Amino acid sequence: MANVHTEHGNGQLPQYPEKATLEGRNKILAFWLFLGGEAVLFGTLFATFLTLRNQTNEGPTAAELFSLPLTAAATFILLVSSLTSVFAIQALHRHKVKELITWLIVTVLLGIGFLALEIYEFYEYMHLENFGMTTSAFSSAFYTLVGFHGAHVAFGVLWIGVLIGQLYKKGLTVVTAPKIYVSAMYWHFIDVVWVFIFTVVYLLGKVG
Amino acid sequence: MAHAHSVKRYKGLMDWLTTVDHKKIAILYLLSGGLFFAIGGFEAILIRLQLIKPMNDMLEAQTFNELITMHGTTMIFLGVMPIVFALMNAIIPLQIGARDVAFPFLNSLGFWTFLFGGILLNLSWVMGGAPDAGWTSYTPLSSTMYSPSHGVDFYTVGLQIAGLGTLIGGLNFLATIITMRAPGMSYMRMPMFTWASFVTSAMILFAFPAITVGLVLLTFDRVLGANFFNVDGGGNPVLWQHIFWIFGHPEVYILILPAFGIISEVIPTFARKRLFGYSSMVFATILIAFLGFMVWAHHMFTTGLGPVANALFSISTMLIAVPTGIKIFNWLFTMWGGQVKFNTANLFAVGFIPTFTMGGVTGVMLASAPADFQFHDTYFVVAHFHYVIVGGMVFGLLSGLHYWWPKMFGRVLNETLGKWTFWTFAIGFHMTFFVQHFLGLMGMQRRVFTYLPNQGFDTMNLVSTVGAFLMGVGIIFFTINIIKSFMQPKGCANDPWEDGRTLEWTIPSPPPEYNFKQIPLVRGLDAYWKEKAAGNTEMTPAEPIGPIHMPSPTIIPFVMSVGIFIAGLGLMFSGEEFSSSFMSFIFNNWIVCGLGLLITFGSMLMRSLFDDHGWHIEPEEFEEEGYKHG
Amino acid sequence: MTVDEQNKHQLVNQRHRHEGPQKHIVAFIFSIVLTLIAFAAVGAGGVNPAFTIIILLVMAVLQVFVQMGYWMHLKDKGHMIPIIFMLGGFFVAGTAIITALSWMWW
Repeated sequence: MANVHTEHGNGQLPQYPEKATLEGRNKILAFWLFLGGEAVLFGTLFATFLTLRNQTNEGPTAAELFSLPLTAAATFILLVSSLTSVFAIQALHRHKVKELITWLIVTVLLGIGFLALEIYEFYEYMHLENFGMTTSAFSSAFYTLVGFHGAHVAFGVLWIGVLIGQLYKKGLTVVTAPKIYVSAMYWHFIDVVWVFIFTVVYLLGKVG
Repeated sequence: MAHAHSVKRYKGLMDWLTTVDHKKIAILYLLSGGLFFAIGGFEAILIRLQLIKPMNDMLEAQTFNELITMHGTTMIFLGVMPIVFALMNAIIPLQIGARDVAFPFLNSLGFWTFLFGGILLNLSWVMGGAPDAGWTSYTPLSSTMYSPSHGVDFYTVGLQIAGLGTLIGGLNFLATIITMRAPGMSYMRMPMFTWASFVTSAMILFAFPAITVGLVLLTFDRVLGANFFNVDGGGNPVLWQHIFWIFGHPEVYILILPAFGIISEVIPTFARKRLFGYSSMVFATILIAFLGFMVWAHHMFTTGLGPVANALFSISTMLIAVPTGIKIFNWLFTMWGGQVKFNTANLFAVGFIPTFTMGGVTGVMLASAPADFQFHDTYFVVAHFHYVIVGGMVFGLLSGLHYWWPKMFGRVLNETLGKWTFWTFAIGFHMTFFVQHFLGLMGMQRRVFTYLPNQGFDTMNLVSTVGAFLMGVGIIFFTINIIKSFMQPKGCANDPWEDGRTLEWTIPSPPPEYNFKQIPLVRGLDAYWKEKAAGNTEMTPAEPIGPIHMPSPTIIPFVMSVGIFIAGLGLMFSGEEFSSSFMSFIFNNWIVCGLGLLITFGSMLMRSLFDDHGWHIEPEEFEEEGYKHG
Repeated sequence: MTVDEQNKHQLVNQRHRHEGPQKHIVAFIFSIVLTLIAFAAVGAGGVNPAFTIIILLVMAVLQVFVQMGYWMHLKDKGHMIPIIFMLGGFFVAGTAIITALSWMWW
């Protein structure tokens, strides 16, 4: 480990600061491995949902409940946030800290917008449609799958928020760069999961 | 390059709570694994005592159910797994020529979350009753209707936390093996134990998230009133069985693969021959892991999946016998023509082969779906999985512990006591479990707390109980041996077996904090043996002597795990009515749970905000550690 | 920072400007189109449900390629291990989902 520079001293930032240190490369690799595990986690949740999606126990069904415009709006917000997250990483590679911070802030705001829609949606279902966790097996599976994804978004928002603070304080270094890169990977992965959620939960729910 | 960062170095207990050194974490895993192993063993003895004679009334049925549940859960998740992790931690960085694991902080976090999960699970004994639905916790038996106490909550939350620790550990080993190998050590030059650990860690990564989901669903059913497994609400109990075994079957391979790895190290060392068919061993290991994810439904043949599913899973299960057979033959061919030395480590390794093969053969019998309808839920199954887990895994672990003890602690275990350990344990093992095959075939069901006399069960149950005590005696011999070893001074040779083949034997026993003064250059499979054959006494260094960067010790992983522990308790008792209104207030309003999460996420934030610059060991400090050759 | 280093820095920046946002905006538009097709297939109604489901799944899989290949750089060199482990994850997830569709109810 003698060859690890955690300080960037007087030298300039390397071209790919996120992969400049062994720690940075390890972090990115391990995060990929972790995402492999996350794929199984969501896969099992999807399996649960697919098993139980028609078990409505005389409660509301998917077709009665879901509103496509709301889902489309949420999807659009999350897709745009994926793009802004890509722009953030491009700014990182150009070592443009201000631009990087701006794109990260936009990403976080979009994430908050998505969460607001989801909270509104859950509130509607629970209070107006009488569709709670205990209503049916379908409702349990719905809230657990979509809620797990929502919790991931919420964690991502907090995480990127903390990283923005660190960028202000510490600037872009070989220590902060891998953290930002990894958080962007996380954000894209959340988007991938959402692609399957809007397909399997909402659209398939409308098809029947 | 040598930036002198001052670092606070702790002594005594604080040293152990804050350590990020893989060798110390290995010892922590070994200690806690040993403790839980002892608890699980004690539970086993109580189970066998209850079954010593027909219509015994030593234990009540409820206590018996709690004992079998906790015996299985403790042994698998809290006893054997951490001892595997102890060996992996102690040996893998040394075998690949690294100074530590990829993420020393995560290593420590993984250990403490595992330990607090294990403690939470075992607290159930004194907090209103242990889980009683079997280690598989099948629904609806584990629903609030049939398990109204908090027992199963302890199971779901405790395992969730311990499982998180295991997942973190597995991830860390994967990254370590991928990125931290010494120059020249390609994948196909990695020692078999490292290979086995690598594949095991990948299985952990893909299997544990499934049980995470399963446990979350069960927790939601029990705590929040969800309907996943509740038929009244449209749920499906078969869903639990599938999720549990999608995790559960890979889990048993997670247990056995490291044992395969250990055996593949011990047998070549003491046969003074290279491992026969190294590349086929690697291939077989990967194949077992791959097939291991496609056989889970053989645990559910009698559920009623239908002939297509039963046939499919029957065939895939039988296929696993092929790569396993390759391994068995390779070990035999390694010994053939070698100068085999039968010391304790090798006795356990050689003893493993026939014992494990017997377990494998009954496995193929059970894989046959029509026959399984007869065997299912009888003592035949109990005999089968104890042959593979005890006769396979535990034999492998005992072999590995005797083999690597000098490396971990700098002291060689006593051979005479070791041989007593082997013979009492091996004979006791076969006495306990061999007869159980026949008990099962005669119709004795598993998990029953007693049985009627004169069904032909009486004698064999007595034999089985006596055998269990003999195994206990074996473990006591082993404990005495450990205590005796610590009464000798430290300082055995670097290579106490004199036939060491891999990199761990090139450095002092126990290794200094930084493991390798200079990272070695690897020039082939069995790197050290290759140098020995070329007439060298040590490895060629791959780097000049220089200051070594070390990670700083930290208390954060411990605090994070305490936070998760508190959050877990808060979640479990969120619906409880306490006699004290204050307690009800803080639990029912999720204050305790929130506080725990706050501690955990707060510590995480601290870790992110304050960079760990580590510290350096300067070359002048190397010699103090004593670099002996022998 | 010496003049020389500054020049090098400039060069690096120059090279990076070539990898502009255009490529990613194209990928973004592609993924929006995929999403629109999926929503339209359901929203239009009257289409055979089995056919709709196939369209939905194809769109979802194509989206994953865009996200993971382009935006998470899996198509780039040196991503062998990530690809192996992502495929491993998808494989186990797939077994769980096949189970849910085949062997849960009878």
